[in-house]
Amino acid sequence: MMKTLHGIIFAYLSNPDLRELTQNRNTCSIPYGGRYRVIDFMLSNMVNAGMSDVGLIVDANYQSLLDHVGSGKDWDLSRKHGGLRILPPFGYSAGKREGAYRGRMDALAGVRSYLQNIRQDYVVLAGGDLAVNLPLNDIFEAHMRNDADITAVCTSRPLGSPKNCDYFTIGAGGRITDVSVHPPIAQGCESLEVYVLSKELLLSLVDHCAAHNIPSFSTGVLQGMVGQLKICPYVFDGYAARLQSVAGYFARSMDLLDPAVRADLFAPERPVRTKDRSDPSTYYGPEAKSINSLVADGCIIEGEVENSILFRGVRVEKGAKVSGCVLMQGTTIQAGAVLKYAITDKNVRVNPGRMLMGHNTYPLSIAKNEIV
Amino acid sequence: MLLAGGQGSRLHALTSHVAKPAVPFGGKYRIIDFPLSNCINSGIDTVGVLTQYRPLELNAYIGNGEPWDLDRSYGGVHILPPYMREGEKGTWYKGTANAIYQNINFLETYDPEYVLILSGDHVYKMDYAQMLRRHKEAEAACTIAVLEVPMAEAPRFGIMNVDENDDIYEFEEKPKKPKSNLASMGIYIFTWKKLREYLVADEADEKSSNDFGKNIIPAMLNAGEKMTAYRFQGYWKDVGTIDSLWDANMDMLSPDNGIDLYDNEWPIYARTPIRPPHFMGKDARVTHSMVTSGCEVYGTVENSVLFHSVIVEEGAVVRYSILMPGTVVKKGAVVEYAIVAEESVIGENARVGASPDGSEDWGIAVIAQHLSIGPSAVVSPKAMITRNVKGGGVK
Repeated sequence: MMKTLHGIIFAYLSNPDLRELTQNRNTCSIPYGGRYRVIDFMLSNMVNAGMSDVGLIVDANYQSLLDHVGSGKDWDLSRKHGGLRILPPFGYSAGKREGAYRGRMDALAGVRSYLQNIRQDYVVLAGGDLAVNLPLNDIFEAHMRNDADITAVCTSRPLGSPKNCDYFTIGAGGRITDVSVHPPIAQGCESLEVYVLSKELLLSLVDHCAAHNIPSFSTGVLQGMVGQLKICPYVFDGYAARLQSVAGYFARSMDLLDPAVRADLFAPERPVRTKDRSDPSTYYGPEAKSINSLVADGCIIEGEVENSILFRGVRVEKGAKVSGCVLMQGTTIQAGAVLKYAITDKNVRVNPGRMLMGHNTYPLSIAKNEIV
Repeated sequence: MLLAGGQGSRLHALTSHVAKPAVPFGGKYRIIDFPLSNCINSGIDTVGVLTQYRPLELNAYIGNGEPWDLDRSYGGVHILPPYMREGEKGTWYKGTANAIYQNINFLETYDPEYVLILSGDHVYKMDYAQMLRRHKEAEAACTIAVLEVPMAEAPRFGIMNVDENDDIYEFEEKPKKPKSNLASMGIYIFTWKKLREYLVADEADEKSSNDFGKNIIPAMLNAGEKMTAYRFQGYWKDVGTIDSLWDANMDMLSPDNGIDLYDNEWPIYARTPIRPPHFMGKDARVTHSMVTSGCEVYGTVENSVLFHSVIVEEGAVVRYSILMPGTVVKKGAVVEYAIVAEESVIGENARVGASPDGSEDWGIAVIAQHLSIGPSAVVSPKAMITRNVKGGGVK
């Protein structure tokens, strides 16, 4: 099992609906869950399944990602052979391509020579906007048992926005018989955009699609070849968060206050790893109040916090009130300020006495390093 | 050279399974994180850690030194246990000086000009580079870091008597009538060539107890070597007893404690477990306390230090206590003025420890690791629990 799976993460993806959250980064390096970046979940899934080689396909705006993953040592992916590889565009498609990748097949064609050298017989393809704790070994076993060409992971508990998601119709014999790409309303199982297939099939699909100018995996491969290939679903009904818009990000963050969701996402047998920062414990002052909140290390809380997610190194000063907020790393809420339904990006400072209020369905989002 | 072989017998149950330097401290750390972090922050990148007593957990914790940036291709951190030699010779480390003597070979592979001797049971932040500057400027054979302590407490320490240049002319171990209040912090810088001479001579002396404080320092003074004091100002605590360990943890809760753990200029590094952020339940009430990742708090926590993965259930109350990693305080239990070691479980409605009542019998209650205290059991103050306590039982 150990050496048979290789991971490819499409780490270049971004979504304009994420607005300020992706101003300086791709979706996969959005901070999520108090101390993680979205990509930590998929990287951890892969490592927890015993995978040792993972390639991250990047295109532009990936400085924040590089800073986060480093050599891969926090995921035990700093290896003599294989390990974590960052794959910027090179070689194969030079001269043919202009601007950003048009789709996953386009991106895979961009790293064709890397794919050629994969040591494993099977490949897991995954997106970078998904926070989930997936049992990849079970999925691989199902793939082998079903003798599938492609196994597509999907959920019957849709949480994404239909205009950004693909949906599968599962027919008799447990095969996927139809694929709807970005339909106006949800229908069938929502794709988590995690696929297992053999290296051999992957390479032939990359060559076929490049020769026929087919950039998209969803329309070109899944939809286009649903009749020729045996595409089997793996229905995963644990918690899965797709981060596709600011409101969606906020709602998926608030989900984490539910113990059942945390039990799913942070299953102790498959721990989620992240970059280590050596923060001290969080300190609560004599007048602090903190209820129904998820709080990372290194915070100093002297005011009141409720129904919120606090990342590492957040300061909530005396008399400040924070309710229904996501405060990212290094945010400072100064004395007496009041925040409700807000997302503050890294190192935001809210000056004393300011009052900021968004709404549950339209949270206020404050960009990185801003001072209010 | 970090002396980490001590048992720390005055910590009783807390060091029954680990060496003192590996005892958890301050929510996120182990005691040894302080000297190790001070080393790297001072620009020292070659560190020998001398281990002897129960080294398993300590060795695993230090590992390749990566959390302290001490994983180096040249230098880095080395674990140095005593070892056998040709002809079945070789002994345990007989004393602090003998431990260094037995590692002369190690030191000579790096051929240092100066050697810094540290101990693994003190909590403080110190720039050893400044101390080395003092050592070089004074052209001393030995520089000893000293701390001004209240005169009344001086008889508990090794006291350095110094002249107007802060050069040491006399050393008194726990003097009844101290002449000064400059206490040795157990931190020494030696010019290596000098130290080597005295270590060899000390080893040849069969009557010697091979200890820095008792033998090497007095021998150097008697021989008229230039010995100088380096005055340290700031937070420093020997955490060798239950009371001082509890005190020092409580000190970490005060914002003006003189050892700012949140100061990014002089971070204290630690090997951190993989845990999600901590969660505060709807009825949680947490004040003047430290809480670490993986904790879940549904009850009341005041003036306490919670290490990672601690669970405090509904209606439970924790006051003035230190809960080490993975402890569980069940519903309705009350834990006051106590230290609970790793993974121990306090049963429903149990009571551990009590507020000070001024009596002689009062003290911090200690529960050793991996124990279970049954429902409604009572553990009295100052108790040292090393076995499971049955439900309803009194200890």
